[in-house]
Amino acid sequence: MSIYLRNIIRFVLLILIQVLLLNRIPLNWWAPPYIAFVYPLFILLLPISTPTTFLMVFAFFTGLTMDAFMNTGGIHAMACVTIAFSRRKVLAFFLPQRLSEYQNATPGPKIMSWGSFLAYAAILMLIHNLVYTLVEIWALQSFWYYLAKTGITFLTSMAFVVIYLLLFTKSVNIKAFD
Amino acid sequence: MRKFLLLIRRFWTLILFISLEVISIYFIAKSRSTQGIDVINSANGTVAYFYRKEQNIISYFNLKKVNTDLLKENTALRNQLFYRQSVDTFKTVDAKIPIFDYDKIDRDQDSNALAPVTMTITENPPLKVVRYAQYRFIPARVINNSISNDRINFITINQGSEAGIKPGMSVVSSVGIVGRVEHVSKHFATIASVLSNRKVSARLKLHEAFGQITWIPGHPDFVQMDNMPITLPIKLRDSVFTTGFASFPANILVGRVSHIDTVKSDNSLSLRIRLATNFRTLAFVYVVVDGMNAEKENLEKKDRSAR
Repeated sequence: MSIYLRNIIRFVLLILIQVLLLNRIPLNWWAPPYIAFVYPLFILLLPISTPTTFLMVFAFFTGLTMDAFMNTGGIHAMACVTIAFSRRKVLAFFLPQRLSEYQNATPGPKIMSWGSFLAYAAILMLIHNLVYTLVEIWALQSFWYYLAKTGITFLTSMAFVVIYLLLFTKSVNIKAFD
Repeated sequence: MRKFLLLIRRFWTLILFISLEVISIYFIAKSRSTQGIDVINSANGTVAYFYRKEQNIISYFNLKKVNTDLLKENTALRNQLFYRQSVDTFKTVDAKIPIFDYDKIDRDQDSNALAPVTMTITENPPLKVVRYAQYRFIPARVINNSISNDRINFITINQGSEAGIKPGMSVVSSVGIVGRVEHVSKHFATIASVLSNRKVSARLKLHEAFGQITWIPGHPDFVQMDNMPITLPIKLRDSVFTTGFASFPANILVGRVSHIDTVKSDNSLSLRIRLATNFRTLAFVYVVVDGMNAEKENLEKKDRSAR
């Protein structure tokens, strides 16, 4: 399967999961109701050698799609562009070689280890949730509420990201479970 | 100029980042404004189409709940309707009685003597409201149904004595009559449906002629109405209603005339009536609670014993 087709399928799949499943489950484990986000994984899993400009354009349109579905104006677009902008730096920190040397490779547990991939995903998801919750609340009058909501959204999102990876990664690095 | 271009090239990523963020902020600001002129929203054609398709699929999953809700609402509306129907009002009106005093002697002196003298009997009559025969409906779901027996067909419903159902109550569906409650347990009740040898009194809507309907065994769709006078100009598709003499409330549709036979031996008409209720697909019924039934039966028992 070509890398373009694979990414298009992943995009559709992630948007469907987000819109049909996760948006229907407003979680209420702590006080404020919130929704877990799994769709930023599309931006995280774009090929390593993608230039940042393309990344940002893709992220912008992914965010706009989510905004259209969730009636949030442009908050998702904003958060997605932010993580696309910072992705390269984070990825370079976790990968040993220069990013341009990974031709057509997808960041994932196969190339990195599970630990470093989860750390990479966690940083970017945290940035996404920080921006999203900040713009959504649009006020810092209750700082602890903001932190609590961001934190819990981030934790549940990461749980769903791990579930997605376990379900849809073809050959999971078995050694990680030894 | 060249330096400027180089500058743009060098900070191209940053410029794109900032411009995309600015566009996002513009969208957000538009969506936060009260005029509702957001650029991106789910009323947009593609997204709305997607959500409609999703709803088409998802709506099947809560049909059961929707049905139950509609049943409840129908019951409430029916109860209200019968509450309104069974109200009579009457007033004690001013009676004006003319009194002519012909036998007065000094008639000629008073020219106004012929004018009637009115006498008011009551003043400010109070409005009296009379309520009677308050029917109440209990919704129930059919959990077992038979139409194939030859003598008597039973329907089991999921409401019993706990809901206030007693033997002898009549049962109707949303379109027509169903039958009469036969046995009651705590959570269930069985109904002997119209498709049995129980008779129901019915009348033709147009001609006000009433008779009894009996079931024709073997046809779950038809009942028969015998001994109608041949002089009645009955037409096909005339509707037949209940009379309200027995436990059924009045004016509930039984069915429509589908066949008219002349019985030559006693010169009468025999009508075949297609039932309004479809017993094959019966799913929800209402048990009718007649608030005045006990009183009425008590009274009629006295008549019977006096005979």
